[in-house]
This record gives sequence, C-alpha cells and structure tokens, in this order.
Amino acid sequence: MLIRRVATARDRQAFAALFKYFAPRVKAYLRRAGLEPGEAEEVAQEVLLSLWRKAESFDPARAAPATWVFAIARNARIDRARRNHGLPGAPEPEEAEDELAPSAETLTLTAEREARVRGALGQLAPEQQKIVKLSFFSDTPHAAIASELNLPLGTVKSRIRLALAKLRAALEEVR
Amino acid sequence: MIRHHPSAETLLAHAAGTLPAGQALVVAAHVQGCGACRAELARLEALGGAVLDELAPEPLAAEAFAAVLDRLDAPAPKPPAPPRQADLGLPAGLRLPAALHGAEIGRWLWVGPGIRYSRVRLPWAPNENVMLLRVGGSRRVIPHSHGGAEFTQVLHGGFTDSTGHYGPGDMAEADHDLAHQPAADPEGCICLAALEGGLRLPWRGWRTTRRHG
Repeated sequence: MLIRRVATARDRQAFAALFKYFAPRVKAYLRRAGLEPGEAEEVAQEVLLSLWRKAESFDPARAAPATWVFAIARNARIDRARRNHGLPGAPEPEEAEDELAPSAETLTLTAEREARVRGALGQLAPEQQKIVKLSFFSDTPHAAIASELNLPLGTVKSRIRLALAKLRAALEEVR
Repeated sequence: MIRHHPSAETLLAHAAGTLPAGQALVVAAHVQGCGACRAELARLEALGGAVLDELAPEPLAAEAFAAVLDRLDAPAPKPPAPPRQADLGLPAGLRLPAALHGAEIGRWLWVGPGIRYSRVRLPWAPNENVMLLRVGGSRRVIPHSHGGAEFTQVLHGGFTDSTGHYGPGDMAEADHDLAHQPAADPEGCICLAALEGGLRLPWRGWRTTRRHG
C-alpha cells in the first residue's frame, strides 16, 4: 500500500510511484476543469505535495486511493480559484467525532463499493457516462454539458437526474 | 428520523465541488448528521475517483518531480486563526455543525417579532449569503420567494411550509420559483440557511430585486 508507506515510513520511492501515476491524471483533471496549463501544472504539484503531507489521514476504510486523491485535487482547485480572488482557502473538513474506527468489515465494503461504482458507471449508456463525467469538471456543469452535448440547458438537469437514477439502479443490480 | 435530503443533483454537485460555497456549507452540515447521505456522497466521490483514474494523463514538466521533492520537508502552512463566533445561547445539547468551524458567526439580530438572525460569514467566500435563523414557537416567517435557490438545514425544532414539515436534520432545497411562508413548530426553529440572490419580499416588489443565476 503506497500511501501507507508514505505515511508510516516517509518512503520517497513509494511517493515517486504515486507521483508518476497520479500527477499527470490530476493535471488532466485540472485542465478539464478549465485551468490554464501553467496553473494546472502548479496546482498538480501542490496536490501531490498535499498527498505527502496528508498521507497519515488516508483511511483505506473510507476511500480508495484515487477517490482520496480526487477529493484533494477538487479542494485544491476550489482553493486556487479563491486565492485568485485574494481569499483564503476553506479549512479542512473535520471528521465527525463519533465515527467508529475502521473494522476489517468496512475495509472490504469500501473496496466493494469502489468496484461496484466503477462497474455501474461502465454499464451506463455512453451519453449518460459523459453527463456524469462532465458533471465533475466544470464550475458551471449544466452550461458545459449543454454546450458539449448540444442539449438545451433545461434538459440537462433532468438528464443528470436520469443518469444518477440509472447509476443507482446499476449499483443495486450488482449488489 | 431524517426525511428531507438534498437532491441527487445537489449531492453530485457537492461531490464534484461545483456548488456555491454557501450551499456547500449547508449540504456539509446535513451530510455530517445523515448516514444515508454520507454513504451516497462516498459513492459519488468514488465516481470522482473513477473519473480521475480514467482520464488520459497529461505529463508534467520534466523538472516537476524534483521541484516537489525539494518542497517535501518544508513546513506545512499554518492553519488560519479560529474565527470570531458570537455566543448564541443555544438550547442545551445543541451544537453547531462542524461545517461551521471556520466561519465567523455574528450575534443574534432582531428582524421581526420572534425572528432573529445571525450573519454567518465565510472568510473563503465572504459574499455568500449565509445565516442562522431563530424563529420563535409557532411564529410565521414573512411570506417570501427567492432570487435563487434557498438551502435550509434544520438544527433544532422544525418548520412547515407548503412542501411539508422539516424537523431536526432535515434539509430543504427551495427553488427560485417557490414562494412560501414557513411556520415554526410550537417549540420554535433554529436553522442554517444559504440564500442565492437574496429574499424577495412582496412589499418590495418580487420582480424588481436583483436576480443571480
């Protein structure tokens, strides 16, 4: 487990492997979200630096590595937009105190959930996959989806709802 | 028993990080207290992870890894000083949601008989219109509609409007086309609300107030 090795042993080889895999994907995500190449490069580096600093807080019972990195990248994108307006970043979200320590059972459940979500996404029709993916990229997702899929703006919300309903149905099926 | 949740599109936008900061705060407050929405949000974030995994990689500059290695041992930035939060004299046992920890919270201000509000200022999004509202037992809020969406999370007590009854832990998502006059439960109501585009009060003219998005 690479992130564990970074957390417990400050293992730079493990970090190099994580960097190699995630940094180019984080940069691609930031570019898709509308950042200029130079800014996407900077923020991608900051995200990987955060990964190093926050590795201890990674909990495999709560999220897969890609899901955890996605959340860091998403927050870094939002914070960068705020800094561009001279504003501070939002504080780290705090964990609820009553959260139970992870058990082996929840660990399996997380892996299962991640696999199921991916399976369900794969089962959607191509247009619905596209709607779901586009929803992750833009600050004005409805407008972006409307222009990319050539749909009227009013239709987009109902299409998103439909895609999410299909996704949930697919999740129930593979359960 | 939580009966009113954020809509599926709202939770997706929250997972994607595309909600305005005020709405995101209210959704975070709801999710903190709602196991079902926490699980749904975890699924939607997993979707974000899957999307990230499937993106075609864009190579970084050749010196990027060395640049990051150089910064690994630099001290992490200090967290900001805790914000000013007025003592609101909340009912015993009621704690503000953890989502509010970084927010500045003003003292209660009188807005009408039995109705007080406290301004919630987000240092990271100071223009967002967020507030705590405290409505006395069985009081009615003046009838209003909204310039945009209104997200409301009930922290204590409850209220009823034309869309139903909202109790502790419930979240109401009102569109700009909903004109309503919420009435508090007999025990009153304390809630956290984020408003887009401000309130539209009948005597100020529904149609003349500014409208965002």
